[in-house]
Amino acid sequence: MDKLIIDGIETEANPEKTILEVAGELGIKIPTLCYHKSLSPYGACRICIVEVIWKGKSRFHTACTYPAWSGEVKTNSEPVRKIRKTILELMLTEAPEAIEIQELAEEYGADRTRFKNRDKENDKCILCGLCVRTCTDVMGIGAIGFVNRGSGRDIGSPFKEFTEVCRLCGACESVCPTSAMDASKIAGVKPIPILSDFDMGLSGRHSIYISFPQAVPNVPVIDKKRCMFFQNDSCRICEDVCESKAINFEQKAKSKEVEIGAIIVATGFDPFDASLKKEYGYSEYRNVITGLEFERLVSSYGPTGGEIVIDGKVPKKIVFVHCVGSRDESIGNTYCSRVCCMYLAKQAHLVKELIKNSEVTMLYMDMRAFGKGYEEFYDRVRMEGVLYRRSNPSEIYRKGDKLIVQAEDTILGESVEIEADLVVLGVGMVPRKETEDIRKILKLSRSQDGFLLEAHPKLRPVDTSMDGIFLAGCCQGPKDIPDTVAQAKGAASSAMSILTRGFVTVEPIVSTIDSDVCTGCAICESACEYGSLSLDNVRKIMTVNDVVCKGCGACASSCPSNAIVLKHYTPKQLLHQIESILK
Amino acid sequence: MQRVKKLNSSNDLEKLRIEINSAWDSQKPCIAICAGTGCTALGAISVVDVFKAEISKKGLNGKVNTLVTGCQGYCEHGPIVVIQPEGIFYHRVKPGDVSEIIEETIINNNIVSHLLYEDSETGEKIVHEKDIPFYKFQRRTIFGDNCRISPVSIDDYVRIGGYKSLSRVLNGIEPDEIIEIIQKSGLRGRGGGGFPTGTKWKSCRKAEGDIKYVIINGDEGDPGAYMDRSILEGNPHSVLEGLIIGAYAIGANEGYIYVREEYPLAVKHFTIALDAAREYGFLGSNILGSGFSFDVKISRGGGAFVCGESTALMASIEGKPGEPRAKHVHTVEKGLWDKPTTLNNVETWANVPLIIDKGWKWYSNIGTEKSKGTKIFSLVGKVNNTGLVEVPMGTTLREIVYDIGGGIKNGKKFKAVQTGGPSGGCIPESLLDIPVDYDKLAEVGSMMGSGGMIVMDEDNCMVDIARYFIGFLKEESCGKCTPCREGLYQLYSILTEICEGRGKEEDIETMEDLALTMERASLCQLGQTAANPLLTTLKYFRDEYDAHIRDKKCPAGVCKVLINYSIDIDKCTGCGLCRLKCSVNAISGEKNQVHTIDPEKCVKCGICYDVCTFDAVKKE
Repeated sequence: MDKLIIDGIETEANPEKTILEVAGELGIKIPTLCYHKSLSPYGACRICIVEVIWKGKSRFHTACTYPAWSGEVKTNSEPVRKIRKTILELMLTEAPEAIEIQELAEEYGADRTRFKNRDKENDKCILCGLCVRTCTDVMGIGAIGFVNRGSGRDIGSPFKEFTEVCRLCGACESVCPTSAMDASKIAGVKPIPILSDFDMGLSGRHSIYISFPQAVPNVPVIDKKRCMFFQNDSCRICEDVCESKAINFEQKAKSKEVEIGAIIVATGFDPFDASLKKEYGYSEYRNVITGLEFERLVSSYGPTGGEIVIDGKVPKKIVFVHCVGSRDESIGNTYCSRVCCMYLAKQAHLVKELIKNSEVTMLYMDMRAFGKGYEEFYDRVRMEGVLYRRSNPSEIYRKGDKLIVQAEDTILGESVEIEADLVVLGVGMVPRKETEDIRKILKLSRSQDGFLLEAHPKLRPVDTSMDGIFLAGCCQGPKDIPDTVAQAKGAASSAMSILTRGFVTVEPIVSTIDSDVCTGCAICESACEYGSLSLDNVRKIMTVNDVVCKGCGACASSCPSNAIVLKHYTPKQLLHQIESILK
Repeated sequence: MQRVKKLNSSNDLEKLRIEINSAWDSQKPCIAICAGTGCTALGAISVVDVFKAEISKKGLNGKVNTLVTGCQGYCEHGPIVVIQPEGIFYHRVKPGDVSEIIEETIINNNIVSHLLYEDSETGEKIVHEKDIPFYKFQRRTIFGDNCRISPVSIDDYVRIGGYKSLSRVLNGIEPDEIIEIIQKSGLRGRGGGGFPTGTKWKSCRKAEGDIKYVIINGDEGDPGAYMDRSILEGNPHSVLEGLIIGAYAIGANEGYIYVREEYPLAVKHFTIALDAAREYGFLGSNILGSGFSFDVKISRGGGAFVCGESTALMASIEGKPGEPRAKHVHTVEKGLWDKPTTLNNVETWANVPLIIDKGWKWYSNIGTEKSKGTKIFSLVGKVNNTGLVEVPMGTTLREIVYDIGGGIKNGKKFKAVQTGGPSGGCIPESLLDIPVDYDKLAEVGSMMGSGGMIVMDEDNCMVDIARYFIGFLKEESCGKCTPCREGLYQLYSILTEICEGRGKEEDIETMEDLALTMERASLCQLGQTAANPLLTTLKYFRDEYDAHIRDKKCPAGVCKVLINYSIDIDKCTGCGLCRLKCSVNAISGEKNQVHTIDPEKCVKCGICYDVCTFDAVKKE
């Protein structure tokens, strides 16, 4: 075995690999700038230079290009550090604003003052060429290239004019080591960002992304409609950078049939669409946001890292509006969403904590702090200086750089105009749109408010009219987390009681089909609420699933040929019963 | 001569040679008119036209041979006409002199003495080319044939023994044997690196791959260098023959010549040579019946200096930007289109037929221990005889500058000679006696390069010279790697500051540090050697740097900001010439009165200094 010694660690020489790759495997970090796994080594930035000792002589080579031949390599010797220092000093002259270069420069003790600043238009670009090579070699486009040579070298589109060749895929920006690339300066138009659903559109995401932090399973997904591989058969950068070779472009959605004994419906809710309340100007003003958007804004792993910032400014005057989309007949939602009072109270508390000297006003209809410890929290928030005013705003409009919330204070009995830098709308809950599909499949009912209907509001709050199907959470109606957990546990134990028994008790009164009379017209099928009837395609007559049938008799009364009767409730039996009553 | 049939064997070639030689009477007067780039610029084409007209007029058609040749080397004295077989040398011939030459020399066998070369020291008129000092001290094994043939005639080349080596090789010398001959000859690359040619060929022959390439590097970019141009223009077949031999030895069937677009005549002559070689069967399939097939394409360079670097050149042939790549895996293994490729300079290839013809022993007897053969230098600058000079390796710089070059112009004092192109170094007078070979030049901080030699005198400021070369490289660096691109920019900035009187003590150390980083960290040879002009001037002319930085003076009087013009009141006669010539009206004074220069207005163009006949303008 030919030996290669890197920083004193002995390993096997392997000319198929580079020093950079072998050092990486050994856990030795060598700084790189123009290197990218998707591209063949280029050796332009020279920052990965290492000292190669061969036959007692020192030579300097770039680790990204130099094969891992036998010999000795020092990746961080004094001469190497000195070379990197000078290179970084040179880079600081052309890219003084690049933070990544500043950090490296500090690490190597580079002196910013030794050389003259280049005063270049792009003060972050180090001309490593990653963008050019990615655009050409990986994306197959070539919208940008190098311009001029020598110290006049630059990067741009032909003749520095905007080019339609650029697809604004953003690959150039994503590989740029110093955030110097701006694709909009190539195409002449701003790229439309792919907005993150989880961050409520407050941040962008990539076409391959992890849905949200702590997602289960916590793995990335590919947005096929945005992925350049699926759209243009190019890129595949993710495949090159994935260490564990986990990217699979062949993966497809699969249908699976499973036999089950119980179903729990827990499809959740949709937040109310605040743009329906036009008077609040949600679609119009960037500083009118919903409670959910505010929640992302204050989240430490949200788009601003937990800072409450709107368009680069920290708001001082904040107004929270209660009951947006709840208890509001004008938009057809008469119910209370049950969570808004408390989540707004929590958010007001956070504002007070995060923004010093902030003025927080809560506009409420009446406070509903009914849960355990809720009232105490409400008191605490008020003590913190949050002003609660009983009023329902009639309009929000802009005046200068401020917003004005116009409202009627129903306690003082006067109309008020409140100035605000930020208005947070406490949107309520509405039935989730997609739940309708599953409701139809499962033959469930809805209550008047549009949420799924339980079997009995008091006695059977987790059951549905369908045996073996249970409800949990906000699909059944607005509720907070403790209520949801309680209901979910109830639904789970109800399901378990069926499953552990291993069998089901069936109603004795079910429909039966007289096969001699049935013509297979299937009118009864649509009459059945529970989906227990189906056409036997061989015999061309209807059949009844005894387990599903509730014995309601709707089918019997709809049958034009009187082929359906209810067990124990045959017409003959019924007539006899009537007769005996009348005797 | 009526001949278009393809030559199918060595016998065919020898028959042809006899045929051509019998038609060429070597005793007949032959007028060889140099039409190389230098002489053409001095009016050689009209001289040729008048010669042709005069010969017809005098009824001498068929009685004299005329050759319009490529560069003969002594460009300083062009247009040059040599009358063979005597070798009578006429210089600075004008169209008006032609009838006299015909009348006197051709018809009456007399010498036209006013066209003869006159020794500047002795004043003696010299008749024969071989006796002129410029030629006397040279050994023109490669270049000498230029004056014996017309570059556009393949028959001329065959007449003087051309393609003999190729024929010999194809008829009985095994490829390995050829490589051994080249190795033993000691031939090293003439493009600058000085890598042993035979070793390069051997590696390429051994490299795996069924497709291999050979390339002629004709991208001669050094300022003032034009030897490759002159060989391509003057004797293209010698380069081509070398290439075909090399291709056969390596096992390549395809070749390229990469030549500068700015060399139209070289492209033209080489294209003619290729067509003729194909017609005669020296290119194409089954060359001279040997079964070996080979052809050559011309690739014209877009004018980037860096394309002379092998990997950048190959990238350029491939149609990519001319940028070098890391060469850890050599081009002999992965070169053009990742195939094994042998690239040699024009002059290297031209040496090959000679070595085959005369044998490696003969060749290795010329030169020094580690540098064999002759080398052509382009001798330019402040020297009396500028031109192309071919000398055996090991000739001293002093011999080249003084014996051949005739010393410094206008009796000025020699200061330095810059060898090896812009990345070479400046060698001072104290080192003039070093023998010129690859290793000695490297030892003193310079390099052989492709053979540029620029002589400088006391009027040259070495800081300014360093700035000039660094500036040249700054423009010509491809800009791919940071140390070269940005390092050169910073070196140039610092040197400019020094030249303009804003130099600081620590600048020297900063530049030295930068130079070291560039040498160690640059991607290709251009960047690695770019600091040479700076480092050698710093080493040998440190006092000039000190004068610029400490005293804010330019001792050579070149750096405008640091010099002042004034008028010596004792010497000024008030002639007014300087006042009339001054373009910015900075000089005032009454007729016959002492004049004065207004330093506020003076732009230091130096015209007053140049025009004053009384030496009254002082430059300090």
